[in-house]
This record gives sequence, structure tokens and C-alpha cells, in this order.
Amino acid sequence: MTVIISTVSLGFGVIIGLIACLGKLMERGIEYQLATNFIDFFRTIPEMVLIFWVYSCLPLLFDLRLSAETCGILALSLYSGAFLAEIFRAGILAVPREQIEGALALGLPKIPVWRFVILPQAIRRMMPAFVNFLTELIKASSLLSAIGITELVYQASTLGAQTFRYVEFLSAIALLYFLIILPFSLYSRRSEMVLVRRTGQ
Amino acid sequence: MKMKAKLVFWIGLAVLAAIVIYHLNWDLVRALEFSTVWEYREVMVWALGMSLMIALIATAIGLVVGTLLAIVSQSSLPILRWIVVIYVEIFRNTPILVMLIWVHFALPILTGFTTTAFQSGLIAMGLQSSAYFSEIVRAGIGAVPRGQWEAALALGLPLRPRWTEIVLPQALRIIIPPLANLAISLFKATSILSILSISELMTVSTRISNFTFKPIEVLTVAACMYCIVGYLMSRGTLRLERHLREGER
Repeated sequence: MTVIISTVSLGFGVIIGLIACLGKLMERGIEYQLATNFIDFFRTIPEMVLIFWVYSCLPLLFDLRLSAETCGILALSLYSGAFLAEIFRAGILAVPREQIEGALALGLPKIPVWRFVILPQAIRRMMPAFVNFLTELIKASSLLSAIGITELVYQASTLGAQTFRYVEFLSAIALLYFLIILPFSLYSRRSEMVLVRRTGQ
Repeated sequence: MKMKAKLVFWIGLAVLAAIVIYHLNWDLVRALEFSTVWEYREVMVWALGMSLMIALIATAIGLVVGTLLAIVSQSSLPILRWIVVIYVEIFRNTPILVMLIWVHFALPILTGFTTTAFQSGLIAMGLQSSAYFSEIVRAGIGAVPRGQWEAALALGLPLRPRWTEIVLPQALRIIIPPLANLAISLFKATSILSILSISELMTVSTRISNFTFKPIEVLTVAACMYCIVGYLMSRGTLRLERHLREGER
């Protein structure tokens, strides 16, 4: 459940992030303002508050009946959208200007410039931050136990309460999270080092 | 290209807005009463203060323990270095919620000490923040130019002043921006302590909303309070960053 929710919200988050990033790359105008406000708002609001707000206010406001899972995914998608937008933007802006100017000067049309010049370099640069964010998202998904979604933490505390074996169950999920996240964290540490070596920054 | 991107952006926004306007429960929106929240203003501001205080204490613990860990991680003994790496990896890679529940429910069984919710909250946040802080401080120490170290050694400075007079002041100046960012995320993390119902902003606002049956108003106001404080903090960080950069020139 933890993995499913994290993956689905990451998917929606990427879409939201791309749209917001597009808006922010405009650098001025209404789109820029909207995107900036969106990103700032969802970056500064605590995940816990966002989850509770989506869970207890949104169904009332829209007269909908949403399952806890849908609310959780919605909240995490908004949260990851805002963070990913900034990561995407940082990656795109980190591509040296000369590269873009060089490509344009060679007479490449705009779409190949994006496809072959900007995006490959930007993606390589944003990878460590992206993977780092992935670990944050997995950690944030543990908060969904607060609205009663049966992910790892919820399951462990119910089982712990039933069997009175808190220590075992709680240590087990702590270990499990550690094992899920460790590969990502090692990867981002390694790739960061490789990037530093390669770009000399 | 720019036109096309603009078009995509606006179409996306328009679809979203249409969905929102069509589905919004307008009767409920008209019946919203923010005056109830106003009645509880003092309680909520106090709770916000509590949140800030917890964040401050956690930052202080994290800064002290994290700096010590970072110093230890520079030691020449591999065992000490490994201990620090393991500590940092464990606490960075487990969610704070899991740590919180573990400290509150599992630790008393193991050690025999019972901690109050407030204490376990602080312990869990301190563990987490010290792991993050030690990484940042380590990076800062790494950024102090090699020549400074060598000069200190060449001048025959003993270990203590080498750290307190030469390396740490320079490292701290480099890492102030990431430190401030971490303090902001700790402030955000205080909302997670509501799981143990410590009377910080999130707990108090859920309690008020259960009591008054006005979740929308109370939670929205609480969200805005978090947002405003967080925004001011990040603005302050940006200012500080700019100030430091100008000071260097």
C-alpha cells in the first residue's frame, strides 16, 4: 500500500510539477504569478495539515464522497507537484546558457533543442534531487496512517495493539522503511558525487 | 514555443477551474463562518507559539548534536566514522512518524522509562534533526579550504582551537542557508507531533474543529497560519543568504 500510494502520487505529482514548472519558467506574467503562488503555498504548508485538510474539508466543500486513499493520494500529489516543479526548474536552469545559444546558433529548431540539448542535460542534473525527493515522499506517505489508510504504520500499530508486541512490530516497520529508502538514498549520494566530479561544480 | 506552452498552461488551468466551480457546494461556502475561529484566536496563537518553540528546541538539539557528530565523522578512527554514518543513515531514512511512535511506545518497554508525549516528541525530532544537521555541517566542514586546515596545523594549534577558532566559524557561515531551511522543515514537522496530541497548532485546531463542528474554517485558518509563518521564515532565509553573499565580496 505504501508503495502503491507513493507511486501513484508521484505520477500525478510529475504532471502537476511539469505544469507548474512551465508556468514558472515564463518568468513574468500571470502564469508566473499563479505558478509561484501555487508552489510557495504547497511547499510551506506542512504535509500533515494538507492531508487533514484534504481529508476533512474537501469532501464537505465539494459534496463528494472520497475514500481516505483518494484523499491521501490527492494531498501527496499536490505536495509532490510543488516540490517537483522546483526540482525540474532548477534542473532546466542549470543547463549552461551557452549550450542553448550554441544549439540555436547552429539553426536547430526549438523542439529538437529541447529534446536533444536541454532535456538530457537537465534530467541528468535533476536526478539526485529527484531521487532525494522520492525518499521524502515515501516518508510522507507514512503520515497517511493518521487518516486511517492501512499502510505500513497503521498496520503495524493495529497489529501491535492486538498482540501487545509493540516493540517488535514498530522496530520491524522502522527497519522496513529504512530498507526501502536506503537504496534511493545511497543512489542519490553516489550520483551527486559523480555529478560533482563530472561538472566540476 | 512560448505561445504553445502558454496555451497548454491556460487550458489546464481552465479545465481545473471549471471542475472546481461546477462541483463546489455553494450552499456550504455561503454558510462558512470564520467568526468562530476568531473566538479561539488566543488558543490558536498560543498553539502556534508552542509549535515554534518545539521547532526551536529541536533545532538547538540538532545543531549541537549534529555538530558533534560531524566533528566525530572527521576523526581518523574508521570505527567512529562508521558509527556516525550508520546513525545518520538510520535517522535520515526512517519517517519521523515511525520514530515518534517508536520512541513513545517501544522505548519505554525496552528501557523502563516512561516519557511524556512532549518528551518523546522532542527526542524523536532531536534524533532526526541531528542526523540531518550533521550531514549539513559535514558538508560545510568539507567546504572550508584545505589551506586553512594546513595553516592551523602548521602554526601548531592544538585540536580544540583548531576546531573552535578556525574551522567551525567558517563552516557555519557557509551552511547558514541550509540550516535555516532545515529549521523551516522542522517547524513543518511539528505538525506530525499531533499524533501524540501535544498541544501544538495542529492538535489544537483539530480539537477545536471537533468541538465546534467547523472543520473547514478552523483547518483552513490553521493551514494559512502555518503557511504565513513558513513563508516569512523562508523570506528571512533568502534575505540572510543575500546578506551573507554580499558580505563575502
